[in-house]
Amino acid sequence: MSKVMSMRDAVAEHVHDGDFLFMGGYICRTPFSAVHELIRQGRKDLTITRSNAADDFDMLIGAGVVKRFVSTFLSLGLYGLGRCFRRSIEKGIPHKIELEEYTNLSLPMMLMAGSMGMPFIPVKDMVGTDLMNIRGFMGDGKFKMIDSPFDGSPVMLVPALNPDVAIIHVQQCDENGNAQMWGIGGDCQVGANASGKVIVSCERLVSREVVGKDPSRTIVPDFKVVAVVEEPFGSHPGYTPGFYDVDLNFGYMYQAASNTVEDFQAFLDEWVFGVEDRTAYVNHYIERFGYKQFADLAAAFDYGYPVSYSY
Amino acid sequence: MSVLDEPWIKPELMACCGAREIRDNDRVMVGTGFPTVAANIAKHIQAPSAVMMQESGVYDADPKRPAVSVGDPCLNPGAAMIGGLIEVMGMFLQAGWVDVGFLSGSQVDKYGNINTTVIGDYESPKSRLPGSGGASPIGALVKRVLIIALHDTRRLAEKVDFITTPGYLDGPGAREKWGLPPDTGPQVIVTNKAVMRFDDETKVAYLASYHPDSSVEEIVENTPWDLKVADDVHETEPPTREELRVLRTIIDPARMIKIYERRGYV
Repeated sequence: MSKVMSMRDAVAEHVHDGDFLFMGGYICRTPFSAVHELIRQGRKDLTITRSNAADDFDMLIGAGVVKRFVSTFLSLGLYGLGRCFRRSIEKGIPHKIELEEYTNLSLPMMLMAGSMGMPFIPVKDMVGTDLMNIRGFMGDGKFKMIDSPFDGSPVMLVPALNPDVAIIHVQQCDENGNAQMWGIGGDCQVGANASGKVIVSCERLVSREVVGKDPSRTIVPDFKVVAVVEEPFGSHPGYTPGFYDVDLNFGYMYQAASNTVEDFQAFLDEWVFGVEDRTAYVNHYIERFGYKQFADLAAAFDYGYPVSYSY
Repeated sequence: MSVLDEPWIKPELMACCGAREIRDNDRVMVGTGFPTVAANIAKHIQAPSAVMMQESGVYDADPKRPAVSVGDPCLNPGAAMIGGLIEVMGMFLQAGWVDVGFLSGSQVDKYGNINTTVIGDYESPKSRLPGSGGASPIGALVKRVLIIALHDTRRLAEKVDFITTPGYLDGPGAREKWGLPPDTGPQVIVTNKAVMRFDDETKVAYLASYHPDSSVEEIVENTPWDLKVADDVHETEPPTREELRVLRTIIDPARMIKIYERRGYV
């Protein structure tokens, strides 16, 4: 049965106020189309997570849809600091989000544990640091120190995470949800597989037969997937390997806008509320910046040696 | 005039100081900017078999332009391996395979602890910083941590406001007490004024060398702990002609490293 639908329907049917969301991406393959749709539909009280959050999480926080953030980091990197994140924490604008802080080792491990149905997992980092002295909404459940039952040495245990929904963006997917990805992975595969259900946004829909030509690239099987959205240019202004590059101009434009509440709101009015879906967003981009700037983002072709699984 | 005749600038010196810490065959975890430049200088000079990785999942990339983030698309084509955080942070770093990590921070203290979380009180901070990201596990688990910092009494501290990334924590024996791997920890703090190393007994950073336009007195004055001075303290060796050749003609012909001057590395 085909699970193909619009992003509007996918978010409306499968993401509810108060849900715990894993959002994939690591500069690459950011599910930006879904980020905009969550804001457009006015979701509230979401808990969000991913390692190394960037402009997408900053925007969700600034738009007021986030209540809690299981975090490791939030910065806009080259562009600058995450101003919406800072305004929320420092000044309570639009409200102060609650944090539970981990690291780029411990959080992926917690998602991995969740993806495997394990209750918790030992990690070797965080010990001795002030990350042990701050506990947010997870309270005593943030971590536990034990003496190893094997050799008595001190060991930190962190709990498995099982988000309600994962939203990821990949290169290609079939209509049932077998999702195929290549390039920098971040914590996308463990985050998606830890979640109760997965929304897949993809650059192109392909047939089940195409998936079967290179099945090692599948990172989520169809049985975990509830919605498939064909969303070309769906991770802009981030990138998708083999499809388009990072849009540095747009990244700087967002960072500049996010410096004040007024400019941030104007940005949302233009790029989120002012367009009804990703197609309208792309059309607006081309009207605003010209086709050349759009076309210049397109990736070159440089195919690898074709793989064969024949026997 | 050859590009090699232009006077060296402070970020170039700092990159060279970082490069000189890297040994052949080291496996080096890098971010962007200084660490990548330093590791690349080392690869062209004393450490041709050193290899780099990025926490996002990249091993031995071959980028055709400077990567501006650890997730940069230019890191994908040509790499020896692309995985994700579980591979690099778990299977490589946590499993003990990574020799060197480069870190920087808004605040660094005498034990090499680094703060990238908050300035001021955690609950109502003066400045909210990005958080740990990969820094804390890198600081905990690589064999040798190289720290890059600005040298003033605001960026350096007797004690950081928040220990995001462990150096020697509260002194000798602390890393061992918490079960961090033996023989790991910060090796050096390279600043825009000096190179500081860590005393084997006290684990406190001391002055090893001062950069050519600085002095022991100026550095002691700008360091907010009781800074010991090495018996053999000396002037930092300026970038060699070979280091400058590699840096300016191979690694960074566009001289992008100059942006660090605008960030205060002067």
